[in-house]
Amino acid sequence: MSVSTASTLSAEARPSPEPRRWLRPGAVIDVLAHAYVWFWLAVFAMPFLATLFYSLQASGGQGGFSLDAYVYVLGSFKDNLLLSFETTVATIIINLLIAVPAAYAIVRYPIPGKSFLLSFLNLSLYTPAAVMGMSLVIAYAYLFRIPQTITGLIAAYVVGTFPLMLVPIIVALRDLPITFEEAAKTLGANRAQSFLRIELPLLGPGISAGILLTFVIIFNEFLVTLFVAGPGTTTAALRVYTLTRTAGFQPSTAALATTMQLVSFLVVLLFFQVFGSRYLKGTYLI
Amino acid sequence: MTQVRLVNVTRRYGKTTAVDRISADIADGEFVTLLGPSGCGKTTTLRMVAGLVEPSEGEIWFDDQMVNDVPTNRRHIGLAFQSHALFPHLTVARNVAFGLEVKGTPKEQIQQRVAEMLAMIEMSDYGDRLPAQLSGGQQQRVALARMLATDPRVLLFDEPLSALDRNLRDTLKYSILDLQRRSKKTAIYVTHDQSEAFAISDRIFVMHKGRIEQAGTQLDIYLRPESEFVANFVGDNNALHGTVTREVRDHDGQRRVEVESGGIRLLATDTGALRPGDRAIAFVRPETIEIVGDGEGRDDPYVVEGKVTQVVFEGPTVRLMVDADGTPLLVEIGGLPRLSLLDSDAKRIRLRPRSVSAVADRSAVPA
Repeated sequence: MSVSTASTLSAEARPSPEPRRWLRPGAVIDVLAHAYVWFWLAVFAMPFLATLFYSLQASGGQGGFSLDAYVYVLGSFKDNLLLSFETTVATIIINLLIAVPAAYAIVRYPIPGKSFLLSFLNLSLYTPAAVMGMSLVIAYAYLFRIPQTITGLIAAYVVGTFPLMLVPIIVALRDLPITFEEAAKTLGANRAQSFLRIELPLLGPGISAGILLTFVIIFNEFLVTLFVAGPGTTTAALRVYTLTRTAGFQPSTAALATTMQLVSFLVVLLFFQVFGSRYLKGTYLI
Repeated sequence: MTQVRLVNVTRRYGKTTAVDRISADIADGEFVTLLGPSGCGKTTTLRMVAGLVEPSEGEIWFDDQMVNDVPTNRRHIGLAFQSHALFPHLTVARNVAFGLEVKGTPKEQIQQRVAEMLAMIEMSDYGDRLPAQLSGGQQQRVALARMLATDPRVLLFDEPLSALDRNLRDTLKYSILDLQRRSKKTAIYVTHDQSEAFAISDRIFVMHKGRIEQAGTQLDIYLRPESEFVANFVGDNNALHGTVTREVRDHDGQRRVEVESGGIRLLATDTGALRPGDRAIAFVRPETIEIVGDGEGRDDPYVVEGKVTQVVFEGPTVRLMVDADGTPLLVEIGGLPRLSLLDSDAKRIRLRPRSVSAVADRSAVPA
């Protein structure tokens, strides 16, 4: 109400506007600024667009588009994609089981050398994947006797991505005032009730951020997988690599790659829609 | 119905002592306020009663049970926080129901109790709202309902109104008192706001540097302060440093002492055991000083004469600064007589201090 009144008043007060010139100096700068941003977006998206384009090529003939290549995604590549999903989900669950109590202990209890501990726990993020892969092969072969198994694969992912789960949960827990826990206690809740009913739901966004990061990284993980995977444990990412090495560029391989890309992209998009970017601060992505 | 007893309760943080050997008996159904400036240990004391802070020494008793080792969730207390602390992801009704749910109360009973509680705070239509959709006052009322829903033995309040604006504070403090009176529960209330403490307490414990400086009713605290800190913390006061000249028996048989400070002689109630020759501080409230008319009190030795140095009209009262032979006195006059004082600046007037109290002066430097 008041807004419309104000605008009517100011419109009356203003002298009649000059006819708008299309090419004001401001408009030119606007167009250039937009063009600049879109140019770089195109550059960044180019490799993906190329793969997408390639995956849509009709096989055999010259020219023409078809979705034939995507039949393979559900066909011979289905097991690879499933394995990627399974290992990812298993890793996320294990990560959660370790990271939630760990974050709680780190934030809520006095631990000597806390900052050193945190740096140490984050170490795997700064370890070159090739170094990590080699170390794991050695450890598996001589210590744990799990080379080339799914267990080995999942264990490798846990080691590599645990900090990605831990850090967002720590950030969320630090943001959570301790009064909520205290209020729950005064109302008669024991530690488990307070955790399940109050802290866990309030930590939801932080935990989701951890799940997102772990998912994106593991689902597309390739280098460490190359070291520790065996004949029966070829993930989708590894399959893309081996096929390209042995059979050259095939539209079917491109279709698998495109599918992986789309899955990751949609998961991230969904997360930002629901939670925004706040809980990804202090992590790898932001 | 619970009696709360603190025995030599102490809390240390490293080398600092936040609470220093506090002992207190709080009667069943009594409303006690811990009043003091920030850092005096009042919140720490309350949190020890709640079990959120562990005492370094001493014992806390609820009736005949020593609760030192009873965890918070089994003490059956209700605590109102400064920041209402409503669970942001639960609706108003679920917040109120929380304490009953974790206890495993049957569903129908919970529903009934929640409805009862929401009716009590006059928010029956708000059960489905989230805390963020309520005003500050409504949030604090829901917090009160949540804390009362479980029928706790002891009610604890940690400055529950300090985040609210003034009008709301005034209304809510009487709601709190009303809720406590109706439930007849023992209550401990922490605040730094004197008017809050005076409005709702049966007894006030004035705290200073981790100790209870004085425990008593509003009248005790206000008119018979036992220390300089209490006298100055609660309201305006004239503190006159001087010497006890003699003991006097009043016509009603009460023992009083005469204190001389500067050229002023005062007849004071003695809250300790002052003897002639002792150094003492006499406290006079600005509003207990009377103006004496020209014709009266010629032979009254306790009438003080002075020159008005400042007049401030504050609406219901007039405040005068009076220089009585070098001793500054703050005088507050209300009612109709105040209007005749508006042009008294630089004039001489005669005053009679009433309700004077005296305590031993422990400060090393004589005034």
